[in-house]
Amino acid sequence: MASSDKSSAPASTLGGDQPIPPGKTMSMERHMLDKGAQMLQSLKPVKEMSQHACTFAIYSHDMSRQIETHHYVTRISQDFLQCAVYDSDDSHGRLIGVEYIVSDVIFEALPPEEQKLWHSHAYENRLWAQIKSGLWVNPRVPEAVVKPELENLGKTYGKFWCTWQADRGDRLPLGAPALMVSPQAVNLGMVKPELVQRRDDKYSISTSAIQKSRVEFAEPEWLNPQADYWKQHGKGFAIDIEPTEMKLRAPFP
Amino acid sequence: MSAHPNVPGEPTTTGTALLETATAAIQGFGPLKRIHQHLCAFHFYAHDMTRQVEAHHFCGHQNEEMRQCLIYNSPESDARLIGVEYIISETLFLTLPDVEKPLWHSHEYEVKSGVLFMPGVPGPIQRQDLEKVCKTYGKTFHFWQTDRGDDLPLGLPQMMMSLTRDGQLYDELAHDVEKRYGISFATESENRAYMKGPDQGIHPLANGGGQGLNTSLREVECMPIQCRRWHRLNKAIFLQAHYHNEALSPYVSQFFTS
Repeated sequence: MASSDKSSAPASTLGGDQPIPPGKTMSMERHMLDKGAQMLQSLKPVKEMSQHACTFAIYSHDMSRQIETHHYVTRISQDFLQCAVYDSDDSHGRLIGVEYIVSDVIFEALPPEEQKLWHSHAYENRLWAQIKSGLWVNPRVPEAVVKPELENLGKTYGKFWCTWQADRGDRLPLGAPALMVSPQAVNLGMVKPELVQRRDDKYSISTSAIQKSRVEFAEPEWLNPQADYWKQHGKGFAIDIEPTEMKLRAPFP
Repeated sequence: MSAHPNVPGEPTTTGTALLETATAAIQGFGPLKRIHQHLCAFHFYAHDMTRQVEAHHFCGHQNEEMRQCLIYNSPESDARLIGVEYIISETLFLTLPDVEKPLWHSHEYEVKSGVLFMPGVPGPIQRQDLEKVCKTYGKTFHFWQTDRGDDLPLGLPQMMMSLTRDGQLYDELAHDVEKRYGISFATESENRAYMKGPDQGIHPLANGGGQGLNTSLREVECMPIQCRRWHRLNKAIFLQAHYHNEALSPYVSQFFTS
């Protein structure tokens, strides 16, 4: 059985000085093949990722583990965003998961069993744009451009599956997807200051200044208690993958 | 054939669209610039071969031996991001722990049968890359079950598998793709007859070890043991200091002596 909260990696596959992921560097032939394909294919969905936002996320099964994330966001409608999430914004960034973001209107219509997999953005927004705390920042975008969008995010909820736990040293994506939760203003949800500082240094921003500039954003009047399940219940979630009988229409494998 | 869900919500306003144009022009998009390739293939649910999904992969190389792909339900601008796939060489696959190997599927059949292809790319150019893909293994999760009509990404991540032999893929799914792209899987398959799968053969543990796979949810403590102890200690110190509760002293001191 593979699980999101257990590591199957033997020492040889964990971090150290080795690159993550391991593997030979790309040959010239590879670069040329890629270039050729790129010229012939339109890659439309990729071009729709129009915003890059930097924020922090926390593993729901181990809230001592916090990561910086880079979201590449596509807007599907006024109430729905889909994000490809990487662990950095440089060209070596690893694809670590997917987050979906919905408005409070959509969230309220979800069944309770579904809602518990989602997290609120009210506090992260403050951070994120710090919308009160300033954690979610669009790096290198002037604050004036960013604000109108960010106020909107305060009332949203997110669902974030992490498929590559690179922060624990996995050189390849191992195990089951892990459910992530958002930073909050209370104990387990507080983002470690050194993480924020490192992000601030890298992008030459001041999260505390951003927080101040976003202090006037209204708080949502109501946060659904089914979201941020850990706050009410003190529990997170793990995913297990187990063998089962496959429903067939032909022999397998 | 796959359902195109109508995501609930108001259409994007002009203000929002303008913001997004502005930000895209200013910011760097390092990882996205590495996405250079569109592959079309089919996945089925690891617990249910009768549910099959046309999957559009947008892939970037991390290095010669590893690719990471975003999976969409169509190649159009309004496509839904439904999952991810990682693709690794046979060499890397063999380094995986045995408990991990069943989560990865082989690509040999998909490539040699022609059903995995690069839309818009001429055969001879495709084949230069696909002969490498033929030897790789992939790990795929879908988060959005558009094939059952879900308008939103509901439920748990789904482990997905790839085709491993003739007779698995629905004819109508295959014909739909062939017609849309003006291709013939059979013809392309003949052109790929020379290709070979993994050098050591398809590993017996791959493809679920021959079984289906299912994901399930489990509630857990949200902090590991050490952090819980630390948390209780912090609380005890606070209470002791704040309320001058000497009864807590032995509790606090045991953390420093043990």
